[in-house]
Amino acid sequence: MRPCTLIWLSLMLLTVATYAIGEAGMGGTAVMLTVLGIAVIKVQMVASYFMDLRHTRWLWRGIVLGWLVLVTGLIAIAYLTTIK
Amino acid sequence: MQYKSQAVAKPYFIAAIGLFLGQILFGLIMGYQYVVGDFLFPAIPFNVARMVHTNLLIVWILFGFMGSAYYLIPEEAETELFSPKLAWLMFWVFLVAGALTIVGYLTVPYATLASMTGNDILATMGREFLEQPLPTKVGIVIVALVFLFNISMTVLKGRKTSISLVLLLGLWGLAIFFLFSFYNPSNLVLDKYFWWWTVHLWVEGVWELILGAMLAFVLIKITGVDREVIEKWLYIIIAMTLITGIIGTGHHYFWIGTPEYWQWFGSVFSALEPIPFFMMTVFAFNMVNRRRREHPNKAATLWALGTGVMSFLGAGVWGFLHTLAPVNFYTHGTQITAAHGHMAFYGAYVMVNLTMISYAMPMLRGRSANSRSSQVMEMWAFWLMTISIVCITLFLTAAGILQIWLQRMGTSPMSFMDAQDQIRIFYWAREFSGLVFLVGLVLYIWSFFFKNSEAQAAE
Amino acid sequence: MIILINNPKSAHQVYATPPGDLAIWFFIFAELLAFGIFFAAYAFARAHNIALFDASQQHLSRTSGAINTLVLITSSYFVVRAVAAIKQGYSNQCARWIGAAIGFGAIFLAIKSFEFYGKFSSGITLSTNTFYMFYLSLTIFHFMHVILGMLILAAVMLKARRGGYSAENHTGVETGASYWHMVDLLWIILFPLIYVIH
Repeated sequence: MRPCTLIWLSLMLLTVATYAIGEAGMGGTAVMLTVLGIAVIKVQMVASYFMDLRHTRWLWRGIVLGWLVLVTGLIAIAYLTTIK
Repeated sequence: MQYKSQAVAKPYFIAAIGLFLGQILFGLIMGYQYVVGDFLFPAIPFNVARMVHTNLLIVWILFGFMGSAYYLIPEEAETELFSPKLAWLMFWVFLVAGALTIVGYLTVPYATLASMTGNDILATMGREFLEQPLPTKVGIVIVALVFLFNISMTVLKGRKTSISLVLLLGLWGLAIFFLFSFYNPSNLVLDKYFWWWTVHLWVEGVWELILGAMLAFVLIKITGVDREVIEKWLYIIIAMTLITGIIGTGHHYFWIGTPEYWQWFGSVFSALEPIPFFMMTVFAFNMVNRRRREHPNKAATLWALGTGVMSFLGAGVWGFLHTLAPVNFYTHGTQITAAHGHMAFYGAYVMVNLTMISYAMPMLRGRSANSRSSQVMEMWAFWLMTISIVCITLFLTAAGILQIWLQRMGTSPMSFMDAQDQIRIFYWAREFSGLVFLVGLVLYIWSFFFKNSEAQAAE
Repeated sequence: MIILINNPKSAHQVYATPPGDLAIWFFIFAELLAFGIFFAAYAFARAHNIALFDASQQHLSRTSGAINTLVLITSSYFVVRAVAAIKQGYSNQCARWIGAAIGFGAIFLAIKSFEFYGKFSSGITLSTNTFYMFYLSLTIFHFMHVILGMLILAAVMLKARRGGYSAENHTGVETGASYWHMVDLLWIILFPLIYVIH
């Protein structure tokens, strides 16, 4: 199977996992971090493999990864500072 | 100059500089009135001086834009201007209309001016920056349309370049958004909502397109860098301008009675408005670094680079400082606003016009650059004006911060007038800086006459 | 494309710039910045209104959101296949893969439109509450980018069909592809953030 097809299938599975967590109505810190973590992995897969940033200078991957870490980091902080 | 009809730009540039001088004189009057309140009262009350100062600014910048267009469009389109005669006619119409308007402001009480000029037919007077009587506004529309017709026909019959197309888009936009000055809803919220469709969408919208095109033109001429490189940057810059600036209008919709979501939209999008200015600065420095020729007009190069830096600082950075809703809640309508307004207007629209005039005037007089001594004087003028504006901005920023602290924060805020008393020292400092600015401007004007009659700058 | 490291032993080369025209990457980064700020703003706005956000979130159709995520990921996959095809010079195949991607984009728009219809007809607007303000703003903003992405892909598809691209010269395809992946990437964060996490 082509590598990109494998990536596609992984992305689909991770999406289903996120959906399942949502449907189960689970909440709390661990769950939130898991769902966010899954999103991080998915974005990295799209950026590295689909966008093919894997084959470019570290600068471009760095920018996207840096953005990802910053945004999801801020989201996590916003949630963590309020989770009861 | 390559095309004879480019010569029509000269009167526009001369009028621009003349009106600029008038604008600064009235600015100095107001600056003094801030600390000596009844200076020239009742002959020229503060509100009248303010109308003259702001209206002159807009009109001279418009003269500058039009002169710039008459200069660069024939060269970009590689054909003579469609009708130099029309350009001359409109010059006189605009100048006379403008002069009469200023005279009206100064000699007639505003309410009388309104009834004399048909404000009861269609009420368009009484709003900041749009104080012009109805006939003047109609005159502006006519002049604008004839001007647009003239340069559009020129582009249509000649070569179409990115620079001329972006400039046309900006100038047509300028005219179209001016039409909103005729729309004066009685509902105060709507009144303010649409007022910004002229003001914001001008200076944070279509005027930036004009700025980009003018800067790109001068940079191509001065640096000799490949046109395609510069044009690509220009497209990206104006795309970012429109993407951030259009919804960015929302940063004027925080407190006027519009829905709360504007506080979010306005903050997020306007926070990104510095991006195109940052890009213009990088673009200008990049082009000059990669230049393929040593153009003799060093002064114009300095103005071009200065435009990037000062517009980024004044419009971008100072704008950003008070653009987020939670901050703006405290800073709205204070001296912070004045600080930003002065450096933004100077850095972007004053400087780009001076860049163009600096580049084009020698060409219009038959040489590629002024003499060395003349350029040195012009560069002194650059530094004096620029540094004094920075000082004005810093002093007004300090005044604003103190004003906010005293008047809008804490458990027992001061009244407006009491707070004003406390910031007088900054107003004195600002006035002194304004005097230095005037010196710079006078030097600038003198440089056009200084030691240029004999000297021909070598190519 | 400038190749930085051309190592015959390694399976791939390292390029100096990302795929497609560098100009589109300026926009991609600007878009990431704008949406990133919005995402963070959502999270912090929620922090001040947890009960409201959790309650309103229950009214969203998580199933529609999930299906839409699968739809966009798949259309991104099609675009990857399209780029692979043109790299081997198969223009018609490339055009067909892009057509499929556009088709799935249309499915996304349809599902999202149903969602919007449902909300608007129950009287929900931007002013209903802060959660709905964010939900509508973010998803409508994203919706518009999906449309723009589809237009870009359509232009690429038409040019590919006319034989305008080749194995040596297909920057346009990669440019359109990169933009589309960004649209997908943003939704990948948006879905869990707005529909799931509470």
